[in-house]
Amino acid sequence: MSPRREKLTSPQTRIALARGNRPVQHLQPVPGPVDTEAARALFRAQRRTAVRTVVVLSVLLFGLSGSFALFPELGEIRLAQVPVSWLLLTVAVYPLLFGLALWHVRSTERLEGEAESVDRGRSTARGPSRRRVDRRRRSKGDSSTGGEAT
Amino acid sequence: MTWAVPAIGLVLVTSLIIGVYGVRAARSTSDFLVASRRISPNWNALAIAGEYLSAASVLGLAGLLLKNGLGTMWYAVGFTAGYVAVVALVAGPMRRSGAFTVPDFAEYRLGAPRLRKLCGFVVLVIMLLYLVPQFKGAGVVLSLVSGTPYWVGVLLAGLVVSGSIAAGGMRSATYVQAFHYLIKLAFLAIPAIYLVVHAGADTRTEALHPEWETHFPQTTPVEFSVATDFTLNEPVTVLTPQGEELELPAGSHSVARGTEYVFPAGAPIPHPEDLPVLGSQRWSTPLLDVGGYPLFETWSTLLAITLGCMGLPHVIMRFHTSPTARTARRVAVGVIALLGLFYLFPTVYGLLGRVLTPHLVMLQGTDTVAVVLPAHAVPGSVGTLLTAMVAAGAFGAFLSTSSGLLLALAGGLSHDLFQGSVPRLRLAVVIGACVSVLLALPAQMIDINVLVVWAFTVAASTFCPLLVLGIWWRRLTLPGAATGLIVGGVTATGAVGWSILLPTPSGWVTVLLAQPAAWTVPLAFLTMMVVSRFTRPPEWAEHAVLRLHSP
Repeated sequence: MSPRREKLTSPQTRIALARGNRPVQHLQPVPGPVDTEAARALFRAQRRTAVRTVVVLSVLLFGLSGSFALFPELGEIRLAQVPVSWLLLTVAVYPLLFGLALWHVRSTERLEGEAESVDRGRSTARGPSRRRVDRRRRSKGDSSTGGEAT
Repeated sequence: MTWAVPAIGLVLVTSLIIGVYGVRAARSTSDFLVASRRISPNWNALAIAGEYLSAASVLGLAGLLLKNGLGTMWYAVGFTAGYVAVVALVAGPMRRSGAFTVPDFAEYRLGAPRLRKLCGFVVLVIMLLYLVPQFKGAGVVLSLVSGTPYWVGVLLAGLVVSGSIAAGGMRSATYVQAFHYLIKLAFLAIPAIYLVVHAGADTRTEALHPEWETHFPQTTPVEFSVATDFTLNEPVTVLTPQGEELELPAGSHSVARGTEYVFPAGAPIPHPEDLPVLGSQRWSTPLLDVGGYPLFETWSTLLAITLGCMGLPHVIMRFHTSPTARTARRVAVGVIALLGLFYLFPTVYGLLGRVLTPHLVMLQGTDTVAVVLPAHAVPGSVGTLLTAMVAAGAFGAFLSTSSGLLLALAGGLSHDLFQGSVPRLRLAVVIGACVSVLLALPAQMIDINVLVVWAFTVAASTFCPLLVLGIWWRRLTLPGAATGLIVGGVTATGAVGWSILLPTPSGWVTVLLAQPAAWTVPLAFLTMMVVSRFTRPPEWAEHAVLRLHSP
């Protein structure tokens, strides 16, 4: 089958055109996961990681600004002429934010990796791997409406 | 200033060429949509950072730092921390939901097409609030470099951006925006490094010692373009345009619009009412202090920006170009690194600006400091070249952000509020640009960042609770979400609008209205949760949530 020439437009245009006047169907929730209990456990674990990251982020941001208010001396101590409070706010905070995001990504990827290996262990007994089916379905969904077909 | 116009033209032409070339490359693949999801994470991160770094970052931060002090850099920290919240709370699940936009997600999660109209309306409000400061920034830069009045600059910016969208300059959005990130970084970083190296040891030391007070570095003519009240700490003898000497005693002064004074070199800088004295304790303490409650203002602004980032419609949309939820999160981490790198440089302009161009504070023109500074710091053709670079970088910022915003706005108009078709989408781009230009015309005196934070506050009070509760709380219901959106949207838009447009009572009320996120965000969350508790979620709600978190 030769590729069809498509008019190239922005993503929004594409969805709008693909959908036209019809209500969105591809976004309706699919039937639930095979193993609801495992999915619930994974959800709770993901939520714990997310809460941990948000708490650390809040402590970092509110703590840093709070310490500027509590300890004005931070503006008088200088490192290579630059006040320490300026250095903290304009330079040091960015690596910390990056490290926090990286930590979060590592943690969730480990959680998902564990869940996937359990899942794979189960599905080899059932026949073709679920991942491959998923991938095929996704690419089909992309070319039509941009979502996963139900 | 002479090289700035060609430099801006070059950025524009290169963007158009990359846009056209990118489209050709995409045509050779069999399926453009699948190809668009195979963009490498690095390109994608560059593109997201390119779209995100707007006039607020390139011009606004340095200007506000010069005017209000070091606390301004909390905006930059918030803009970056927002992506940490995005990584932690929405990037992966949004990708798994298959939703392109927030209205799509609302429909996926709550299954109600009518909520989509409400969401579409909120998208319009946020996008317009975000677009106006972009046009303001572009108007300021264009009028500076071409010597035309501000309104001509704004009109020109509207024409340029609508024209470039029409010409297809943003079609291959990823590559164009990645290019714009590199332009913005290079054109802000290279002049900044050059200025620091060549400013001389005295200027560098003075920039780091605000307590030595701020003086006019050279004889400076100041033309007040608006009526200004200012205070002098010691008497100053100025020259009037007629060449007469006039002694201004210490104390408060009011000058009428159009007054011209020539301040001698070494005279202390007069400071306008309501602004911190340049270099004072209030200026150099790194907290946001406009209304007198620094810690509250800092925290409220941080809440607005950090949480608002995840509710910005054009930010959410970009995660769809990642093939999986895992890549979407990694892309967001890459964005944090790119933003952190970029935000090292605006500080340089603000700090040097206090020493070299402090008169901008009196002219209420601090948003121009990054463009004006190089020519003041380095005389001759090098200064002109550096000014041209910053102007072109600022214009790149305007071009990529406003194109992305206009497309999101047009998409919202034609896709969520009305039935979509291509002519309507084009019409929506034109309408969006016209409305933004009209709103930007009277906004010359409002700081870019004040307007941008307004957009973030509305996003934090509407879409942030919708997404966070929708993704992490299975009991969210349709009535809860709708009520919360309305309550959050009305309070956040109203409060900031009141504080900008109308006179406010002094004290706490002013601060609560100007920085409302500290109460509007919890209020929106609470409304959604309480109303949801009184209504029943559909049976499939749990599955809809669980699916967002399974690999």
